[in-house]
Amino acid sequence: MRAVNKEVLKDAANRLLFDMSDEEYNTLLDEFHIIKEQFELIGKIKGVDDSTPMTFPFEVTIDCLREDIPEKPLSKEDALKNAGSVKDGQIKLPKVL
Amino acid sequence: MNYLDKTIVEIHEALLSKKVSVLELTKEALKRAHENSDNAFELILDESAIKKATELDKLPVPKDNYFFGIPYVAKDSFSTKGIETTGSSNILNGYIPLFDATVIKYLNDANAVLIAKATLDELAMGGTGTTGHKGITYNPYDASHEHMVGGSSCGSAVSVAAGVVPFSLGSDTGDSVRKPANNVGLVGMKPTWGLISRYGLFPFAPSLDHVGYFTKSVEDSALALNLLSKRDDNDATNTYHKRDDYFKEVSKDIKGKKIAVIKEISTSIKDPVLAKKFDESIEFLKGKGAVVDMVSMDATLLSTIYPAYFIISCAEATSNNANLDGIKFGPNYGGNTYQEVMYNSRTRGFSPLIKRRFVIGSYSLMSDNQHDLFLRAQKARHMIVDAFNEVFKKYDAIYLLAAPKTAPKFNEASDKLSDTYLLADNYLAFGNFGGFPSMTLPLGFKDGMPFGVNITSKPFDEKDVFDIGLALEDFTNLKGLDINMKHGEDK
Repeated sequence: MRAVNKEVLKDAANRLLFDMSDEEYNTLLDEFHIIKEQFELIGKIKGVDDSTPMTFPFEVTIDCLREDIPEKPLSKEDALKNAGSVKDGQIKLPKVL
Repeated sequence: MNYLDKTIVEIHEALLSKKVSVLELTKEALKRAHENSDNAFELILDESAIKKATELDKLPVPKDNYFFGIPYVAKDSFSTKGIETTGSSNILNGYIPLFDATVIKYLNDANAVLIAKATLDELAMGGTGTTGHKGITYNPYDASHEHMVGGSSCGSAVSVAAGVVPFSLGSDTGDSVRKPANNVGLVGMKPTWGLISRYGLFPFAPSLDHVGYFTKSVEDSALALNLLSKRDDNDATNTYHKRDDYFKEVSKDIKGKKIAVIKEISTSIKDPVLAKKFDESIEFLKGKGAVVDMVSMDATLLSTIYPAYFIISCAEATSNNANLDGIKFGPNYGGNTYQEVMYNSRTRGFSPLIKRRFVIGSYSLMSDNQHDLFLRAQKARHMIVDAFNEVFKKYDAIYLLAAPKTAPKFNEASDKLSDTYLLADNYLAFGNFGGFPSMTLPLGFKDGMPFGVNITSKPFDEKDVFDIGLALEDFTNLKGLDINMKHGEDK
């Protein structure tokens, strides 16, 4: 497991496209002492690594399809209503190239 | 006592017999919402609520529609068409959904009256009611504002406990309905995972997220499930399992029901007032013909419910909130590249607490850590669910105090490695792990603050939860409880 330090936490934050203040990183580093001890409890469960990961509470099988009912899609006007930067009927972003 | 302080069933009878009008109820609810000082509301919808109430009073009250004219409040993480919905986060300031969440549609179609959107812990990621962008939400039982209401469905809990409305919508990913219900003396229900459509609910951790709700009686809770649990094509995880008539079938006859009390959790609760009342309630249940046994489980396994929940929920949250980028919706602060636009929006839009949770989620998903953290947490979840399913092979329900104490104070420190914290204070997430139906209801009072019990059963066995709860109301005498109802210490 990767050691916890400010650089690792900053990397974890930047992967999610945000940053925190130095104070916030320090708070998180302090919290990690307890969090890591709590996490380590999981490793103490007898046979945990032989178990299979559970991704949903129970088996969910959907074996039918919805009726194919034609619907009007969202209008362009509506789709753009909540965007902060719009130009010529499109969401405007900085140039990529 | 005003009609608004009554249960949904009682208000419906009053509407049918014309003792009160929808407009009178709505005006009183709006008045109480404005007068409330617990910071429970994002938005109070005076105009639309009065307009709808006025229209409803021109119609006959349908005998079989209990939600007709009932004022209600929704957590601000449910999409409401044309009404700003922020999830109590700055990153969604100004966001106006283009559609209603399915449960909002069901309530509106039933002609319930939405009077306000309620505060929550930011994006439902918290359990204290302190992290929303409007600040702390307070417990209505404590005028000095020293006690938490808890979260994340803090404003929804206050709405019912303070007598503003008889029903509110919340959501429950770890215990976000059932823990606040403990803290403010309400019936807080989280049914089986997949039974209520989540379409239009802001996702936090979809493998754990449930729509939940608050009422003042078990009967109302069963009634609400009838309305909310209709099958919905818009949610791929909404089950095709048969729905029951929960309201019609609820019965206080619990003779022969087998109830398990988990020894390791129960004995980690040290408060003598709560423990005494709980023991008395067990004797009551036995007196009604239920078989109540103390059942032992692996304490190490139980102590990992919270850490496993924490890892899984934080990890799932990182991807589920990736769409909050300031581009399609939410404040856009600009930038030289599209990544910079997102970076600026997310850095300024998220509060420190949920950023920390996201970082923990991101850390546990790093390739070096995934095996030891995320995958191992998912494996622990499997073992925990298997262990509870073993209990449910022999028992109809698990019965425990919902928390080790009444609502904690804001400045109260707790030992986060203690049994009290890991077992008694955070065990309710097992209901989310296994998708089990789970309900908290008030049991008594200590020092003027309410506390509750929790009943959990196997998937799709809501009836046992409701039946045991209904029977218990005869013991607690707290049916219909809100702050306007007189109550005594240790009733």
